[in-house]
Amino acid sequence: MNGPMTAWAVPIQVPPGRFRLVDVRRRALLLAQLRVLLVGAAFLLLALAAMLRIAWLGVVEPAPNQRSMADALLPPRGEITDRNGVPLARAFPAYALWFNPAAMADGGPPLVQSAEAVAARLKAIFPDLDAYVVARQLASGKAGYLRRRVLPEDANRVMALGELALELPRETDRHYPQGSMAAHVLGYVEDGEGRVGMEAALDARLSDPALRSQPVALSIDARVQGALEDELRRGMLSVNAVGAAGIVLDVDTGEVLALASLPEFDPNHVDDAGRSHVFNKVTNQVYELGSTFKPLAVAAAIDAGTVTNLARRYPATPFHVSGYTISDSHPLGASLNAPEALIHSSNVVTAHIVDDLGAARMKQVMADLGFNERPYIELPARGFPIWASGNWPRLQAMTVGYGHGLAVTPLHLASAYAAMVNGGIWRPATLQRVAPGHANRGRRVFKASTSARMNQLLRMIALYGTGRNANAPGFRIGGKTGSAEKPGAGGYRQSTLVSTFAAAFPMDRPRYVVIAMLDEPQGTLASSFQRTAAWNAAPIVGRLVPRVGPLLGVRPDETRDIDLTDLMPLIGEQE
Amino acid sequence: MSPHSKLRRIGWIAALASCAALYLMLHLKVHAVHSEVVRAERQIVALEQQKMLLETEFETRSNQLQLAAWNRVDFGYTAPSAAQFLENERQLASFGRPRAPGAPEPIRVAGGHGVEAPEYPRLVSPLTGRPIDEALLEPEGSTLAAAADSGTLRIPLGAVMSGSGQ
Repeated sequence: MNGPMTAWAVPIQVPPGRFRLVDVRRRALLLAQLRVLLVGAAFLLLALAAMLRIAWLGVVEPAPNQRSMADALLPPRGEITDRNGVPLARAFPAYALWFNPAAMADGGPPLVQSAEAVAARLKAIFPDLDAYVVARQLASGKAGYLRRRVLPEDANRVMALGELALELPRETDRHYPQGSMAAHVLGYVEDGEGRVGMEAALDARLSDPALRSQPVALSIDARVQGALEDELRRGMLSVNAVGAAGIVLDVDTGEVLALASLPEFDPNHVDDAGRSHVFNKVTNQVYELGSTFKPLAVAAAIDAGTVTNLARRYPATPFHVSGYTISDSHPLGASLNAPEALIHSSNVVTAHIVDDLGAARMKQVMADLGFNERPYIELPARGFPIWASGNWPRLQAMTVGYGHGLAVTPLHLASAYAAMVNGGIWRPATLQRVAPGHANRGRRVFKASTSARMNQLLRMIALYGTGRNANAPGFRIGGKTGSAEKPGAGGYRQSTLVSTFAAAFPMDRPRYVVIAMLDEPQGTLASSFQRTAAWNAAPIVGRLVPRVGPLLGVRPDETRDIDLTDLMPLIGEQE
Repeated sequence: MSPHSKLRRIGWIAALASCAALYLMLHLKVHAVHSEVVRAERQIVALEQQKMLLETEFETRSNQLQLAAWNRVDFGYTAPSAAQFLENERQLASFGRPRAPGAPEPIRVAGGHGVEAPEYPRLVSPLTGRPIDEALLEPEGSTLAAAADSGTLRIPLGAVMSGSGQ
């Protein structure tokens, strides 16, 4: 401002000696007016420039980079819910605990108290914290994470410590509100990528910006899943089993309502111990599932027409075939008919029935039930069955008939049982919710008449046979026990069993298949010092079904049951 | 330049100036409303996040494992047995018995309607602080369906805005 004014003022200072000044006063006045005008013009220019700048900012310049509300509410990873909309996994703005030594900004020590005292108080909030390591980190004066995941209530308690250097930045994290429940179904997220379960299977869908605003509904029902895990855990602990697996499957759609593998891991906090439990026993581990195969063999024989008369009696004495003797765990008399064989779980009679059926036909039915390929489910971890290719010899077919020589996953068994009880249609299992009327068409394995007959036979096993401990009053449960010896070094180990109960309910119109499996159960007081499925796996189903049946729309009714009158004369006197 | 045309020119300039002034006012008003909308959106985002935080915390505290533990240990609940379910009204009626002759009159309890019962507190809009119209709390269908339809927006925004009188 000063520059132009002095520049103007200099030439006006007229040297008095050269010109004659006519009116000095008038000139001075003019000069003053000119200066005022100049100052005014400068201010006007300034105001104009400011106005132009405002107009420029308001009209031309793009708005400050603000996110729209839809962007702000778009989760970084899609939500996973159960079939009823209960969140199972969600992106959650969690807190982290960050040590910022510069927070006080006064040049003094970063902490008010000593590092040891702060570490001790943090340990009181987070009991698993290593106080020594934290104290050293606090004393070192280096910024860094003290903890990556802090719950809101713990965050409040850290704030209450009054240490400015302990900051709680918000970080987006994956949170599983149900904790370890359905961990094998959900999997977990590590380094932004889904691992193990549906987090891995749906990784692209969950991280797609166009789709991730919509939650993905699984077929799982959180209440059923919780009850299944609860009962399995209880059953597993009461017999000191090393593991347990269970599944609840909708027989008409193939939807998996619950799928549990124990011991479980916590997807919120996957450590080394958790990683060792990531293996899914339901979809990935293959077992010889023992006597639970017998109803499938009998169904195959009825379907093929090689068993037309259920009253026909087969010899039940040890059966010598190809240098091998098939025998029962305890003598069952001289002869049995097919219903009695299922009720008392006779290996010998099942072998005779399969022998009549023929090995080729037996293999075909097993293949139709999907036992020659990995199970159908979205999960990435799917075990391949131990399936003998080529022509099956006679003995191979017989041992498969009672569940040995063919190892499948519990999920295979559940799908096969669903096909056996639902009218004969095999459908792939799915973890995605199926809209009504959109179920997979599936393929026919058994005739509807065979299926109806098998429903009667399964119900009889639960009423009069080895499945009595599963017979919850009013729920019309039918099912078959299976206690298979586990193969070890040098043959089968007699004391190491896999005990399974494969069930369906209600048998007058089957809607759900339930499989409960225990790995290496021991004889304890809770199981009357028995290791077999009738004493450990069957009671799990017997306790589970009353808990989940009413939730799934199956009302217990003791006045209703499947009609067994045509079969009752065949099984002799029952208590 | 005649005085007439001069007058007309002044008139034109005045009209132009008033139009410009009106435009400026409108422009400022639009911007003011826009920034108000942005502020409201930010508030909605913050509230939504807070809501999710609380909802997640609630879900975590009431997870199935915890509920099962409470049911078993604290309350001793078991699954209902078949006898506890009723098929229909006829079955319910079968539990009743006609009053025997000479039985005492059944006790009748007087009901109090609208006396001493305080009015149920109404939900207040977090944006305006005024009570929300009850019809807006359940906009067609369940809230679950509404949440699924609108994707990221968990609440029907139009409903809240109109409900709060804007």
